[in-house]
Amino acid sequence: MAPFPERPSAWGGLGTILDTPAKRRTAIAAILAAMVVAPFVFGPYGTVILTNALLYVLLALGLNIVVGYAGLLDLGFAAFFAVGAYTVGITTLHFGLNFWLALPLAILLAIIAGIVIGAPTLRLRSDYLAIVTLGFGEIVRIAARNLRETGGASGLIGIDSPWLFGWHISTPLDFYYVFCVLAILGIIASARLANSRLGRAWLYVRHDEDAAEAMGINRVKVKLAAYIVGAIYGSIGGAFFAANLGAISPESFSFRQSVLILMAVILGGMGKIPGVILGAFIVILAPELLRDAGDMRLLIFAVGLLLIMLFRPSGIWPARSKQR
Amino acid sequence: MRSVMKTAAGLALAFTLALPAVAQETLTIGIMVPTTGSEATYGQDMVNAANLAIEEINAAGGVLGKQLASTVGDDGCDAQMAVNAASKLAASGVVGVVGGYCSGATIPTLKIYGDANIPLVIPAANSTKLIPENPGNAFMINSTGNDQVAKAIEYFNGKGVKSIAIVNQGDAYSQDLADLTKKEWEAAGNTVTNFETTNKGEQDYSAVVTSITSANPDAVFWTAYYADGGLLIRQLRERGYQGIIAVGDGSNSPELFKIAGPAAEGVIAFSNPTAEFLPEAKAFADAYQAKFGAAPGPYSTLSYDAMKLLAWALDTAGSTDPAKVIETLQGANFTETISGPISFTLEKTLARSNFVVLEGKGGAWTLAQ
Amino acid sequence: MTITDILLNQLLNGIVLGSFYALVALGYTMVFGVVKLLNFAHGELYMVGGFAGFLVLSFVAPFTDAGWVGVAVSMVLAMIAVGFLGVVIERVAYAPMLSAPRLSILITALAVSLVLQNGMLTLTKGQYVPFGAALGFGGLRLGNLFVSYNQMVLVGVAASLMLALELFVSRTQYGRAMRAVAVDKDMSRLMGINVNAVIAITFFIGSALAAAAGTMAGAYYGSLWYFMGFLIGLKAFTAAVIGGIGSIPGAMLGGLILGLLESFGTQLPGVGSEWKDVFSFSVLILVLVFKPTGLLGKPEQERM
Repeated sequence: MAPFPERPSAWGGLGTILDTPAKRRTAIAAILAAMVVAPFVFGPYGTVILTNALLYVLLALGLNIVVGYAGLLDLGFAAFFAVGAYTVGITTLHFGLNFWLALPLAILLAIIAGIVIGAPTLRLRSDYLAIVTLGFGEIVRIAARNLRETGGASGLIGIDSPWLFGWHISTPLDFYYVFCVLAILGIIASARLANSRLGRAWLYVRHDEDAAEAMGINRVKVKLAAYIVGAIYGSIGGAFFAANLGAISPESFSFRQSVLILMAVILGGMGKIPGVILGAFIVILAPELLRDAGDMRLLIFAVGLLLIMLFRPSGIWPARSKQR
Repeated sequence: MRSVMKTAAGLALAFTLALPAVAQETLTIGIMVPTTGSEATYGQDMVNAANLAIEEINAAGGVLGKQLASTVGDDGCDAQMAVNAASKLAASGVVGVVGGYCSGATIPTLKIYGDANIPLVIPAANSTKLIPENPGNAFMINSTGNDQVAKAIEYFNGKGVKSIAIVNQGDAYSQDLADLTKKEWEAAGNTVTNFETTNKGEQDYSAVVTSITSANPDAVFWTAYYADGGLLIRQLRERGYQGIIAVGDGSNSPELFKIAGPAAEGVIAFSNPTAEFLPEAKAFADAYQAKFGAAPGPYSTLSYDAMKLLAWALDTAGSTDPAKVIETLQGANFTETISGPISFTLEKTLARSNFVVLEGKGGAWTLAQ
Repeated sequence: MTITDILLNQLLNGIVLGSFYALVALGYTMVFGVVKLLNFAHGELYMVGGFAGFLVLSFVAPFTDAGWVGVAVSMVLAMIAVGFLGVVIERVAYAPMLSAPRLSILITALAVSLVLQNGMLTLTKGQYVPFGAALGFGGLRLGNLFVSYNQMVLVGVAASLMLALELFVSRTQYGRAMRAVAVDKDMSRLMGINVNAVIAITFFIGSALAAAAGTMAGAYYGSLWYFMGFLIGLKAFTAAVIGGIGSIPGAMLGGLILGLLESFGTQLPGVGSEWKDVFSFSVLILVLVFKPTGLLGKPEQERM
């Protein structure tokens, strides 16, 4: 039996550098200030892709809980993203529901979906779980494509952007700030979870399932909890994604989408919040920065990805921290 | 930590550098189509054709005394990527955009071009769902699905067809066309024996073919693109299907004959009048083949026409002022095209359908009517 | 056509489709067995194999013809070329990663797949390439069932390749080494097995089988496309898992089952081509719920 693992920090060593409250406060203030002024520095196009990157921060943080914290390989994360987006789309368009009422419904449905697919399959080995999640993702996408309620392949069009206390969240700039807030909330929740009782249970299960079971941890329950938390992140991301674009179609929830989110998680450094954030920014910004390369851009992106993985097999964010 | 800071700083720098310089001596027109991903084939056909048009325009003296240039925004046929591409084009000071292939990816960009007040000519995307989302600056030069269905049904009726099988590919364009056809066809009291959806890139259609041949409809209507359509046609004929095979405008490419081989003999296509048999289009097809080493794709001619139309509108408006260009487009009666004259309805869609019926003969498309 | 005819036809369709899935699934399962890697680039090797076969065919066609001889020669040469490509990919992209977290190798594999796919997109400018084989449409008619010579040869070749592989793995020294490495890499090394050589051979064979499938697909269906590996890669992965990933007979069985599920699913009222993938994925999930290691897979302890 393996020795009990040291508790790795979800901050991935950031805590050793920002070791005093003063330093931390300065860093947080600097980052917040940068977030506020960024749209004015980078212009409208920059704002749009930063918004996109922030959405991916949220999604990647959610998947990180499943993959990084609990050690479950999920290749169908886009399914929860789709559940969130389509719930908001359908309920606001067809039933005239307010966005803020549709949002909890979206989360609820994602949780149910997570339980339905997770409960019978979470005892599977990770490679088998990978294909089950992939299959689930494809089932959701194909259902969205075939059903009339989801608008078929054309998807849903004309989803209203929400109001918040008299503020109509409608311009790209509005959504940028909304996604800033969502990402920050996501980060805080993610960090809290890592340090919670549940977080320690995830760590233990990831490290040694049998030992964890022997210690009285119900592994299926613990894994299911990770799955559900991930689903909540995904559905919130999807709900705001739908409100932001105003139009959703099945293509946005393909296997490619799931893979891109997974890349963000692993590229930056799975399990470490700053790494996941970095990963999300890279998978979104890199292809945008390479736009001038024309049809070669994804080729260059892929080569870059390969090189990063070869030189930093555990992800970009340095692993140096208390755990080694 | 320092290395991370450096990375971040590098990213920020690259970001700033990537912000495009506004063109000075030339007028830049954006081209928004997918050039990566599974739809890149069609997108690259469209970029080629649009650039060919720009070359000809520049050779003839350009527009407003300036040379035209293009910049491509890859939308990857994906809503998110399309929004990014459109935002980048909008921020880069283009005087107009030719773009929109995938309807689903085009819809969320309409608002962006609308807010930026950029004239947009949409060459391919023709879902009827674009119409209510148009803020007023977008013009669709491809006939909408309704026109195509009307033509298809007229043709089937003329041939005494009573039952058809409809096969689509599960994307917005081909599913729309298939749904519309089914609705109209059944409303007229006829039968749809099969309504099939295949996956793009699925090479084996044998199960669908067996399902169709066992129901033995009078005609099979493929509503998606030529590459997969070519395979389906081949497999239908190999399995001895004798009825009429018809395809939509997305399959109107000479490449269909290379993929389907002799099986494409007698295949019917509903499409804009393009390709070799029109004298104006002949010159285009030759120039295209010479320059790019392949035959034009199904939306190449429309992209070429879209670029010519936009250039004409800029020249006629006498300035790049979006309001004037849009007004000019709205009042256009533009005939220097290879796919038929272009004028617009108040909804900014093509005023009259110019769909014709084509027939595959000896490895090329000919006019059937 | 009677119901029996339709079912017989769909059975034939399923077997042909299943042969392709099985050939590609074998590579997935072999690589997984030996290095525990889900090689997501494997579908792209099928695509590259198709293009390699096309390239060879355009060279040899003037000397032989574009018929059976030409296709056979191109298939063999494509298998060798892509086999080596597989080994190179393993050496360059996977070997340095074997001690890294398993998910990192997964991302490397995805990156390799993107490189191959987009590399071919750039090379072919996104165009569909007609394969150019001339095999004819002849065949035998048995009642309402028509079996073309192409289909017979295709299924025959696939079956022989699989039989050869099975014999190789169960009867030869290399095969024994391969099985040993699959069980315990470190112990095998201590027993004097050249583990790197075994891994190289595994990648070579797996990639060559994908190339065989790619060339046959090109010749049989008639055209090639830079994106053609994506869908079959996904399907082959599914097939390998249904059969029990790591198990060679499992991959063959899984491929066949998936092929049959899809063809019968297409015919089934209430499923049809629209829902056939949902149908097969649902069956997959049910199989795994009741048989957590696939049909022929062995239970195994694992650590992430």
